[in-house]
Amino acid sequence: MKYKRKKPKTEKTGRISRRGFLKGAGITAAGTVLAGSGVLKLQAQTEEKDKTLGPDAVNIKIKVNGHVRQLSIEPRTTLADALRKELQLTGVKVGCNRGACSACTVWIDGIPVLSCMTLAVEVGDKEVTTIEGLAKDDRLNPVQEAFMEHDATQCGFCTSGMIMTATHLLEHNPSPTEKDVKVALSGNFCRCGTHPKVFDAILDAARKM
Amino acid sequence: MNKFSWYEATSKVEAQREANSTVSETIQPDADPEAAVFKASGIDLLDLMKEGLSKPAKLVSIRNIPGMDEVSYNKEKGLRLGANVTLAGITANPQIKKNYLALHQAASHAATPPIRNMATLAGNLVQRTHCWYFRSKELVCFRKGSSTCFAHVGENENHAIMSYGYCVSIHSSSLAIALTAFDAIVEITDKNGKIKLVPMKEFFVLPSVDRTRETILKPAELITAVILPEPKTHTVSYYIKMGSRRSQDWPMAEVAVVAGLSGEKCKTANVVLGAAAPVPFISKAAIDAITGKTINETTATAAGEAAMQIAVPLSKNGYKIPVFKTIIKRAILSLGKPPENVIDWALPDRIH
Amino acid sequence: MKKVKLPYGIPDYNLTEIVREIPNAEPPALPVNSKLKVIGKRVKRTDALAKVTGTAVFTADVYLPGMLYGKMFRADIPHARIKSIDVSAAKAHPGVFAIHIFKEMIEGANPKENNKKSGYPEVKYAGQPIVGVAAISMDIAEEAVNLIRVEYEPLEFVVDMDDARKPEAPLVYQTNVNQETSSGGEDIEEGLKSRGNVRGPATKSFYGGPRGNLKKGFAEADVIIERTYRTQVQTHCPLETHGVVVDYNRGNVTIYASTQSTKGTRNDFAKTFDLPKSKVRVISEFIGGGFGAKHTLGNFGVMAGHLSKQSGRPVKLMLDRKEEHVSAGNRPNSLQLMKVGAKKDGTLTALKLLSYGTAGVGLGSGVGNIAQAMYECPNFKMDQYDVFTNAGPGAAFRAPGNVQGAFALEQLIDELAERLDVDPLQLREKIDKSTIRKVQRERGTQLMNWKKPKKAGSDPGPVKKGIGVAQAHWPRFVNLDSTVEVRVMQDGAVEVRSAVQDIGTGTKTVLAQVVAEELGLKSADITVLIGDTLFPIGPPSGGSVVTGSITPPARNAAHKVKTKLIDLAAGELDTKAENIVVENSWFISKSDRSKKISFKNLAGKLRVEQITETASRSDDYGGFMIGTVGYEELGAVQFAEVSVDTETGFVKVDRIMAVHSCGRPINISQIESQINGGVIMGIAYALYEDRVMDKNTGHQMNPNLDQYKMPFSFEVPEIQIELIEEYGARSSTDATGIGEPANIATAAAVANAVYNAIGVRMTEIPITPARILAALGKI
Repeated sequence: MKYKRKKPKTEKTGRISRRGFLKGAGITAAGTVLAGSGVLKLQAQTEEKDKTLGPDAVNIKIKVNGHVRQLSIEPRTTLADALRKELQLTGVKVGCNRGACSACTVWIDGIPVLSCMTLAVEVGDKEVTTIEGLAKDDRLNPVQEAFMEHDATQCGFCTSGMIMTATHLLEHNPSPTEKDVKVALSGNFCRCGTHPKVFDAILDAARKM
Repeated sequence: MNKFSWYEATSKVEAQREANSTVSETIQPDADPEAAVFKASGIDLLDLMKEGLSKPAKLVSIRNIPGMDEVSYNKEKGLRLGANVTLAGITANPQIKKNYLALHQAASHAATPPIRNMATLAGNLVQRTHCWYFRSKELVCFRKGSSTCFAHVGENENHAIMSYGYCVSIHSSSLAIALTAFDAIVEITDKNGKIKLVPMKEFFVLPSVDRTRETILKPAELITAVILPEPKTHTVSYYIKMGSRRSQDWPMAEVAVVAGLSGEKCKTANVVLGAAAPVPFISKAAIDAITGKTINETTATAAGEAAMQIAVPLSKNGYKIPVFKTIIKRAILSLGKPPENVIDWALPDRIH
Repeated sequence: MKKVKLPYGIPDYNLTEIVREIPNAEPPALPVNSKLKVIGKRVKRTDALAKVTGTAVFTADVYLPGMLYGKMFRADIPHARIKSIDVSAAKAHPGVFAIHIFKEMIEGANPKENNKKSGYPEVKYAGQPIVGVAAISMDIAEEAVNLIRVEYEPLEFVVDMDDARKPEAPLVYQTNVNQETSSGGEDIEEGLKSRGNVRGPATKSFYGGPRGNLKKGFAEADVIIERTYRTQVQTHCPLETHGVVVDYNRGNVTIYASTQSTKGTRNDFAKTFDLPKSKVRVISEFIGGGFGAKHTLGNFGVMAGHLSKQSGRPVKLMLDRKEEHVSAGNRPNSLQLMKVGAKKDGTLTALKLLSYGTAGVGLGSGVGNIAQAMYECPNFKMDQYDVFTNAGPGAAFRAPGNVQGAFALEQLIDELAERLDVDPLQLREKIDKSTIRKVQRERGTQLMNWKKPKKAGSDPGPVKKGIGVAQAHWPRFVNLDSTVEVRVMQDGAVEVRSAVQDIGTGTKTVLAQVVAEELGLKSADITVLIGDTLFPIGPPSGGSVVTGSITPPARNAAHKVKTKLIDLAAGELDTKAENIVVENSWFISKSDRSKKISFKNLAGKLRVEQITETASRSDDYGGFMIGTVGYEELGAVQFAEVSVDTETGFVKVDRIMAVHSCGRPINISQIESQINGGVIMGIAYALYEDRVMDKNTGHQMNPNLDQYKMPFSFEVPEIQIELIEEYGARSSTDATGIGEPANIATAAAVANAVYNAIGVRMTEIPITPARILAALGKI
């Protein structure tokens, strides 16, 4: 019941790693472009203030599926919208837009998160992976293979989120129990009721990996 | 969502300089149109904004302020959890699982796996009530500035059974239930950089005291950490939540029990109920029922019964009373061991 | 006409052959599945790759150049006359390209009660659309919607069905109303009168009207049981919400639609905008679920059309989750008063049903056809009333009526068995004349190791286990307006084309299998292009109608193509057409098997780039039909095992055994998937889902996915499926659908199992902890 009496220890438990945030972000909000004489002085005075982005569109860079892309988006643009509308990565699905169905699950630095509840502007230089980024060199990952093999899709609208969740599970737990699978998927909504085949597919993919 | 500007703070000072309001203030009719509020993960904030309830002009991100997601241990001060530690971080922490089991359980039952990867400890504490009248854009309830609590005479199956005034909403943070049971302390950095240490039981505000907010936080005040005092020898804990489903769900009833045991005897105890009242509810009656007693079916049952003596259910939530009686009893009997012969509520410990 | 011997009956039970007289153009008999190569197998979905890689394009994923985003202003009160609408600020908002104000509603019953002064439709439910805006982004469209000001004259409203039935209740409609039945299979009787908010009674269905004499029947009974049951409103919640992208102005109108009926959407649009059908094209390649709610164009589709027409740009209008809940359809609730009379030996003497249900501002809440059709009972009468309330219109929902009806009927039969002290399966053996369900009961009994249930509530301890069984009945609908085109190209490519859509059931794959079987190919060799009204028209995806309707034309078209190819092969191989067999993608001379040519090489000999054949289908063989209902039914039997925690009221379904049949099974894994889905939906209906309306404000309190309780991973029990092949010599494929029957019996089986666990009947769903605790006297 006691801690090991060691010296105070610091550890990081936040699962999303911190990196130089917004390094790739655009420098100023639209309408604050500075020109002419006195720019330097003005910049010095407003250096802190210039960190405010928006509310109009700003240029950001975002690393998605291994490629750095430049986008012009308003701060209110969700990551899901930016991926779908701006980058045409429509494998990212929005089911409820409120974080309750997990269809929009993507990875940020390898961790499954909800792209509908993430702002594009806050991704910074972290790496985003979507369903489109799972297959390497046109080779499907074992979870995708297993979903096909086990008929683990019906309408297919929840499939991307399910596969992103499941792939992450297997990368961190190569031999999950059925309960582990259910925990991992406990936020993924499927109205078609494909769950039993999804469980089978994931457990089978684990065996084959 | 409304249009807003974005500020990425790299220090507390910077963040506090930028923020001038609280999320709760933005929901009120007299909200400042220039309101700038903190955003960590922002799960609850974006939900309020997408519904059109909160329209801040600026979001000040505190997500990447160095040090705010750290966990540290010090034998005098106990376990210090940075405000930005995620729910998944809490769940995955072996120290927490070993020494603060109820907190581990509360965190691993909250929301969904991807939300647990995103949502922060402080964000979980300051989320607004999920009373569905409060959350409806079309309805201006008592908490949002009108004179009507719709739930009082309406669909109140999820609402409070004790300690409510006119507003019958329940507090939505499951972590707060466990943290209150552990006598945790909220570390707040005020606008001047001064640190205030507020016991969890003083952190939340009843609507009868101030209906516009649920915590004592003022504009630009920042939760920087939550501190759990080091557990005394032979301290054990247990948390049970019951929802309508076993997968993600809001609780119908939840309880955290922390007890100092000497053999079978309970020396000290804390019993805190969630989904019962507008704030985490410390059940003195349940505590008294087991303190100094041997833990067994009789005393555990008595604790559940005692806790519900003061309950005054609304028209549609009388069912909460037997549910609370049962989960209080079971949580007490589960101290130190898993429950038997009940539908298995516990989820696996490992969360990926 | 020609005479053909077709497989008939159930393998390992009573399989035989039957001679049917069928049109000459129909292909020869298809042998039983065990003799086939592609049909009846576990074939991978043709679109699985697109789904697992995220490349499948749903309507929500369509982004066209210059596309605008549509959003609707919706009434925020449940009943009102609109006095004025001010859109000036919205119009002036930068980024807004079009604004349209509805002059009439197309959803619900009688939409034309407009304010005499202002001319605007009356608001009849909170969330009813009033104005639409198209703007360059969704955010701007939402901002513009927030700038719209509508002045109302609020009217009294009622959202609770029991309140709406009272004589003093505010009226939802001032006059008698009618509503067209959608292609989803709900049954609406025309021309009935309303008294207050109550319309009816509807006493007929496609099975006809009342039978015999109830009074006489009950007089003959040894046992009479009378019970009242209630079911809740359930919303469809397809993961992809309703929506369209309409491009009005570039030549023909093109509509991308998340629809269960490309044909219906096209026809609705052509009618609304007064266009010839040939000028409207509807495309639905992938649909994110429908479950009955996506059969019509909808107000949103009409709005998108107006906005696109007005702006000259494509307009996308997808509902958000809240709009989906409040306005896009639901399964009406029900209050069912049932009375059954029976002899001591179980023979039913009389069955009476009085039902009320509210489909909000719509019609279609009848529940009676399962009671009317499932069991033999000479004296039967049903009086079904629709009750109008100020809530969004109902819609067909997976086995409309029968899911509600089965919940009541199957508990009543269970109770009757207990009263007669017989095994509930034995009682059904006595009163159920269906052969298929007889076999299903037998299989289920073996697989479950079923014994007469223990005394209800007799388990010791707080957690009690229970078992239950319930049966399903669904009519076998066929849609004869089903046409398929099959093309073979010079490179050997084979293409199947039809306007029929695949809402997730696997229609594409089924078509590929049938065509592959006929042409001696593999299903992966077939490209299936469907969900586009440029192709021959197909049936709507509703009522478990698709597989039975569209596979015969697919086989017929493939057969016509094959006949041509055989002629060509005969020439190439210098023999007669009768001497050619097609096997494993080879055309072989029967008399000299060394003489053969591959499918690909033969296609290369075509004189034209491609040959193409289109086929429809004959009526089902054997003189079927009562209207569009085929003879025999789609029956099913489901068993449930549950645990009930009597201290918390929590119910957990441990296991479901689902015994089903759907004629000749085409794709085993897809059938299993649909049965899983029906079972899970049934469990959620039994235990979780409930649209909560606030009586005082008229708003839905849970129009989302966190407070509207859906099943997730832990709500899914062990599901075992037993599929029974059954041949009825009905068509050139003899296949039928499975969507509806999968969903009918589950809630009743769960309720019967809960009774067996706790000894108290749960006559109202969802069976929540609150209801269990109340039933046990613990509140």
